[in-house]
Amino acid sequence: MTPKSILKNSTVSTNEPSATSKPYTQRHRDVALQHASIIEEQKRVEKEVLDAIMTLMDFPTSPTADPMRPSPSDALFFQGLMVNFQPSDYDSLIEERNIADRCGYALCPRPKKKAPSKARKHFIETDKGVEIVDRRTLEVWCSDDCARRALYVKVQLSEEPAWMRRGGVNDKIELLVENAEDHHKALPLRLKQEAAPKPAKSEEEEDVASAWAARDDALADLALERGEKPGRLSKANKDLLRTHIQERVQTAPSVPPEPPTQLSGQSHMAIEGHIPRADRPKDEDEEDDGTDWDKHLPG
Amino acid sequence: MDERSNVSPNMIKMWRVYRTVKEMCMDRGYEMLKEDTDISLDEFAARFAKEDGEPDRGRMHFSCQPTEAMLVKYTDSPTPKNPNPVPQIGTIWIEFNSDDAVGLKQLRDYMQHLVNGSFYSGIMVVQKPMTGMALRLLRGSASIEEGPKGGVEVFVEQDLLVNITKHELVPKHVLLSKEEKAQLLQRYRLKETQLPRIQVTDPVAKYLGLRRGQVVKIIRKSETAGRYASYRWAI
Ligand SMILES: [Zn+2]
Repeated sequence: MTPKSILKNSTVSTNEPSATSKPYTQRHRDVALQHASIIEEQKRVEKEVLDAIMTLMDFPTSPTADPMRPSPSDALFFQGLMVNFQPSDYDSLIEERNIADRCGYALCPRPKKKAPSKARKHFIETDKGVEIVDRRTLEVWCSDDCARRALYVKVQLSEEPAWMRRGGVNDKIELLVENAEDHHKALPLRLKQEAAPKPAKSEEEEDVASAWAARDDALADLALERGEKPGRLSKANKDLLRTHIQERVQTAPSVPPEPPTQLSGQSHMAIEGHIPRADRPKDEDEEDDGTDWDKHLPG
Repeated sequence: MDERSNVSPNMIKMWRVYRTVKEMCMDRGYEMLKEDTDISLDEFAARFAKEDGEPDRGRMHFSCQPTEAMLVKYTDSPTPKNPNPVPQIGTIWIEFNSDDAVGLKQLRDYMQHLVNGSFYSGIMVVQKPMTGMALRLLRGSASIEEGPKGGVEVFVEQDLLVNITKHELVPKHVLLSKEEKAQLLQRYRLKETQLPRIQVTDPVAKYLGLRRGQVVKIIRKSETAGRYASYRWAI
């Protein structure tokens, strides 16, 4: 279209503007409608996330629930609500549960851990020696176990707001549970065997498979980010979570630690990068430490 | 400054906040004695200090009734359909929260308290801004069944240390009643949408508790024109 003259032009025919401007108005209207529907959708999702957080503040449904072995109905409900969540929403959930004095993991009925005092900074003993940490960091979970289960959910959440997701929602948020057998009939839990490629997949199966592949890539990236070596057991691998955590029991007088041996053989004992001392020789190459999850904490 | 030397800085801070809140209630049209807004630091400290000299926020709460004038201002003109309109204002409950972090839990507890006590609306004064989710609930609280009719307002202490409306550069803002608003629009043959606007989040609008759709008259003093008024529509 040629630029319109700002001067009065008597030769412009009266029906020309309607002929050219109509498609434009139509397009503008379409764009405006699309914007309106996105905003509408955003409001709806934000309201749903708020309602979900209010519900999950009082979760789990039983005060004696076990976060390792959630009831299938609680687990299914929690997974369903997570579909809309972005990682920042998940941080808000943790924040609100903490303010209500609860462990940040929504399937845990226990109160959050209490720091030894109200001081802002605390000295805590870690394998790397004494570290200074924020009180809020200490008071997020009831245990490292809950931290791990909670963050396993977080890393699966999409950064993309639910109202912008074109490829539909990711409805496969996995949980770390130890009673998978109770769940897999009720839940879309992923079983290892199902990942094997099948010939002649339907389009839908194809989509599901590629979604899983994308998620696996994301988890692999995360593993790399955490300094895990490819091919090694992932710290977020649920297979290793079947191990039992061995309590440290003093049975003999302490002896000097043995010289380092190959740590890879111990990695199945790792809990968020830590290998409990009772089972592990001292080592120097502790690249990642047990606090790498605190990067995911709210503010 | 002598009398202040034995009062903790936090106590002085809370004294300012408390006085601003009282003034705010009076300026909105609630029943309030002038001496209540003028409480001295000594008296404030005597009433609200804990043993360690720190302010005890848990004891500062109070409620106010609207004055007759305020009730009139907040009542629609009678219509054939609604011959006896009820005032859209009532008893307000003001609370000073003492928690480090305020989230959904405190906000919902507060709303529940307002509903249980049959309060029309409430103001919660917090030490630090609430969580994002609590703000999200608050934004939608006008349409939330679990809250009180007149809604909940939240102020951060920091924003109440000084009464902004007392500042010489802030012109006087006066809320118009529905009737006055109708007269104004009629006189100038305007639709409300043609008026300049004021956001309900504007500090002065917040101070007056303006609601969407209300109109304020802003009275300025000018060296050249004397006093002149303008009107703004709250959105
Ligand atoms: Zn826990």
